[in-house]
Amino acid sequence: MSISLKVENDVGFIEFDQDDSKVNLLTSDMLRRLDGILDGIGTREDLNTLVVVSKKKGVFIAGADIKEIEAISEAKDGKAKSQEGQKVLNKLEDLKIPTLAVIDGVALGGGCELALACDYRLATFNPKVRIGCPEVNLGFNPGFGGTYRLPRIVGLAEGMKMILAGRPVPGGKALKTGLVDALVPEEGLSNSVSAFIAKIHKGKIPRDKYKRKRKKKGVALIFANSLIVQYLTFSQSRKSVLKLTKGFYPAPLKTIDLISKSYYAKREKGMDLEAKTFGELAVTEISKNLVQVFYLSEKYKKLTPKDADGIRPAAIEKCGVCGAGTMGGGIAQLLSSRGVWVRLKDINHGAVALGLSAAAKIYKGAVKRRKMKPADARKSFARISGTLDYSGFGNADLVIEAVVEKMSIKKSVFKELSGVVKDGTVIATNTSALSVSEMANEAKDPSKVVGFHFFNPVHRMPLVEVVATPMTSKETIVTALAFAKRLGKTPILVKDTRGFIVNRVLLGYINEAGRILEECGRMVEIDELMTDFGLPMGPFTLSDEVGLDVGIKVLETLAESLGGRFAPVGSFKKVFEKGLLGKKTKKGFYTYSGKDRDPNEEIEALLGDNDFRPFDAENYRKRLIYLMINEAARCLEDGVVDDPGAIDVGMIFGTGFPPFRGGLLRWADSVGIANIVDDLERFTNKENRQQFEPCAYLLSLRDEKKGFYGA
Amino acid sequence: MERIVIVDGIRTPFAKMGTDFNFLGAQDLGRIVAREVIERTGIDVNEIDEVIFGNVGQPSNASNIARVISILSGVPDRTPALTVHRNCASGIDSAIQASMKIRLNEGDCYLVGGAESMTNIEVELVKPLQDELVALSKAKTTKDRLLKMMKFYPKFFNIKKSLQFGMWLGLTDPTCGLGMGGTAEVLAKEFGITREEQDQFALLSHQKAIAAREILKEEIVPVIPPPEYKKAVDADNGPRDGQTIEALAKLKPAFDRRSGTVTAGNASQISDGAGALLIMSEKKAKSLGLKPLGIMRTYAIAAVEPHRMGMGPAHAIPMVLKKAKMRLKEMEAIEINEAFAVQALACLKQLASEVFAKKFGYEGYTGEIDPGIFNVNGGAVALGHPVGTTGTRLILTMLKHMQRNDLNIGLVSLCVGGGQGAAVILER
Repeated sequence: MSISLKVENDVGFIEFDQDDSKVNLLTSDMLRRLDGILDGIGTREDLNTLVVVSKKKGVFIAGADIKEIEAISEAKDGKAKSQEGQKVLNKLEDLKIPTLAVIDGVALGGGCELALACDYRLATFNPKVRIGCPEVNLGFNPGFGGTYRLPRIVGLAEGMKMILAGRPVPGGKALKTGLVDALVPEEGLSNSVSAFIAKIHKGKIPRDKYKRKRKKKGVALIFANSLIVQYLTFSQSRKSVLKLTKGFYPAPLKTIDLISKSYYAKREKGMDLEAKTFGELAVTEISKNLVQVFYLSEKYKKLTPKDADGIRPAAIEKCGVCGAGTMGGGIAQLLSSRGVWVRLKDINHGAVALGLSAAAKIYKGAVKRRKMKPADARKSFARISGTLDYSGFGNADLVIEAVVEKMSIKKSVFKELSGVVKDGTVIATNTSALSVSEMANEAKDPSKVVGFHFFNPVHRMPLVEVVATPMTSKETIVTALAFAKRLGKTPILVKDTRGFIVNRVLLGYINEAGRILEECGRMVEIDELMTDFGLPMGPFTLSDEVGLDVGIKVLETLAESLGGRFAPVGSFKKVFEKGLLGKKTKKGFYTYSGKDRDPNEEIEALLGDNDFRPFDAENYRKRLIYLMINEAARCLEDGVVDDPGAIDVGMIFGTGFPPFRGGLLRWADSVGIANIVDDLERFTNKENRQQFEPCAYLLSLRDEKKGFYGA
Repeated sequence: MERIVIVDGIRTPFAKMGTDFNFLGAQDLGRIVAREVIERTGIDVNEIDEVIFGNVGQPSNASNIARVISILSGVPDRTPALTVHRNCASGIDSAIQASMKIRLNEGDCYLVGGAESMTNIEVELVKPLQDELVALSKAKTTKDRLLKMMKFYPKFFNIKKSLQFGMWLGLTDPTCGLGMGGTAEVLAKEFGITREEQDQFALLSHQKAIAAREILKEEIVPVIPPPEYKKAVDADNGPRDGQTIEALAKLKPAFDRRSGTVTAGNASQISDGAGALLIMSEKKAKSLGLKPLGIMRTYAIAAVEPHRMGMGPAHAIPMVLKKAKMRLKEMEAIEINEAFAVQALACLKQLASEVFAKKFGYEGYTGEIDPGIFNVNGGAVALGHPVGTTGTRLILTMLKHMQRNDLNIGLVSLCVGGGQGAAVILER
């Protein structure tokens, strides 16, 4: 039975145990059954307490069923769906006997809201405990009474924060905010529950959960209930949400509007407002896109190669890292923070020092922002040791090479490594564009060689491109994918072609931005065009971040094997020759001093006295983005990946392509392939710009009237 | 009896107090060398039976510092760790403990060493102020708190009277009331060793250390210190290039203003540093296919009067020779730690004295030491003396010296604050 009532003496236990599933979901079916059980309890006289528990390990209730929400296409259906849940949870809240939720794992979304409807909440010390409402991440608000109950239980400011950030909290924090009433050990849980029930019946803890807030003293007491402070909370939340989302995401804003009304309303009215907002948000395209992105990321986080059943990943406890620059230092930091011992090698102490200082800086920042305890940071940092020779590489389970992007050097590193590592050590290269196969040929065992391409800054960017050559063994791929997962990264598996996915798609776009710059001379506007579209930064800002020298090098590599469309444009070469590389030289397309950034006037001079054309926002935007779509289609055509999802994951997690657009190719589908091909052909014919020539893959999609994701 | 081998070892450079390693605690220095030995030898950390480290300053934020070093250097959580404290012989004692445990069949693989940050030995409140501070922290009402604050702070701001320096306390013998420098002055007077002799000894120590700067790098792991992580420190910063006898002669006596001869120039330098050794039974090393650096043949610990603590080696050396059934002249290289130039000189004098040998029953085990085999790469006067680490350094430096010069037998010894002496015979 997926949900059942068990009675022990005068205590009723509602036990959630969804059939054929590792987790419990609050599906409509579950809700209906719960409703029936609650009706039954309402008529019984023999019960004096109701306890809600889960029989799943590490899970209370993981949320509502996203599939059901995804299927909603009319706002009124959404509202009805929300009301359906509200009604059942209200019934739970209105029971005459005290109710208690026992949380021994994740209680998310609907699961959290169910717990909130109970009079009391008890959580265990299980580190898996996470409680909260992550709904806004999917583009809608909590719809089962969460927006009404949560701010009332934990306080307005804290409740808003939890809902708007959509970040569930661990047990300790939940206790601190009053979200749960006590934490108890997992061992002997039933005894703790009985003891807690006894306490309830002795009247030790007031039944009205809204009046149990921790007593405030002094100034805090005066301010907590002041309307002015509440007003400020709403306006500050709005401000910080706008700053964070640039207004692209309606869910948090609408949720603030909602709470600013419902916080002062009676339950019926508050619930009604919540349901209405839910209906409106759940049907938005943005929400649908975010749900798709969620599915994609869930899928790729668990990525395994085909026909790899039964192949176990090798255990990775110790890594060698070659090349200790910013990238090597970042990799060393990431590995060490995940419990991996790191031997960091470079050719001189200065370089090793750079790597250590990069890692130390990240740890320092994490401690400062309280993301990490000082002891954990100290222990993690101690896992990195520097070296100038290969001592300590002999027992490494994995070596990551992150030396300069020069094939001759990479090859000699691979050759050297083959002489030092033990049999079975996986050798990975962090190259962003060079041929992994060519390096693998230098290795003693090419089947152990794989590409493992991180993005800068390593500790923040969630993507890793895992590159398999024709020689790479299945076991090596399985190991690499599992290792990416252990590092908390989302991998995509790509074929060994130049630029893999992300750089190939992105560099063509940056090059096109250069062409447009030469045409119109309006750098800042071009950048704004892209940030207005939702990208975290425009092409010139991005180039400054990465360094133009790196960009040009990759473009040249790409041009060599993929064609002239990647040959760096003239203006880039001029800027490069002037040494305006970007942030690292303090001068690039912009100038940097301290926190200030200004457009670099030298750029204008370098463009010369061109006869600039007027700024054509509409067509420029299309040129920039359609070019990416065309290149992505080429990647599919060349079989670099076999699933458009991999490209969308790559662009979202590797470049910050806006998730609310659903990903590059999902967005392309929404525009319509035929429209895109038309425009591409128009761009091609207009001035014979070969780079726009739609590729065969795109043309066949158009002819078949299909999208990247099918019909 | 099972032979005890030293598989390999490493140390940090020694940095004068408050210089390069200002921001590294003893536990940080210790974990750097411990990890480096693990990496360089490629030892599987699961083979290590225990981690034993010597440390004198005992930082209060790293209680049982060996355990902290053990965990931070990647030795498994389930491997025990022991901190040993025999003042300046702490580093040597870590090796002695390992050899004893191996011979008792308690284990066959030990990661040992010494770690010291003299820079970071704590500065404490004097006792009356500690009491005031505790009272302040216990104050309940605002009024009470204010009153207690008024009692505490005015006294506290008189820094000189409110604080005591742990390092100087540590370098003072509480039973005889003398500072270590004071005990050196005792020997200077007893043996009539002049200021000039001491300065000459110090000069030589600097000259030998400067000449050995490059070869000492063989035993040193470069350290890139925080907070900047900018440059690598790869050599001891104590030895002074171009040290002259005139410059040494200008220094004022540090411990006895009027009639003293011991100066900052002819005493060892106060410094930070750590060293580590991997010690095994010979059988174990063989089974792991490791080629050891050398063998730890015998050790001896002697004790002397606290106010003559510098005499320790004069007793420990004949004792260890007797135990090993060897003669002093069989030693191909000898290191006596230079806590003070005068103390090392006094030991040499005493060892050469037949009266001394007779008095203590050391006949046949003493003699004159050939200056050509004595402290050939300089000593603590130039290199520095991070107290808990020096013993480890002596063993390491000696083994590397023997390896370089293809010597078979060497002896290291040091004096120990509180009145002890330690000596070890090493073989290849």
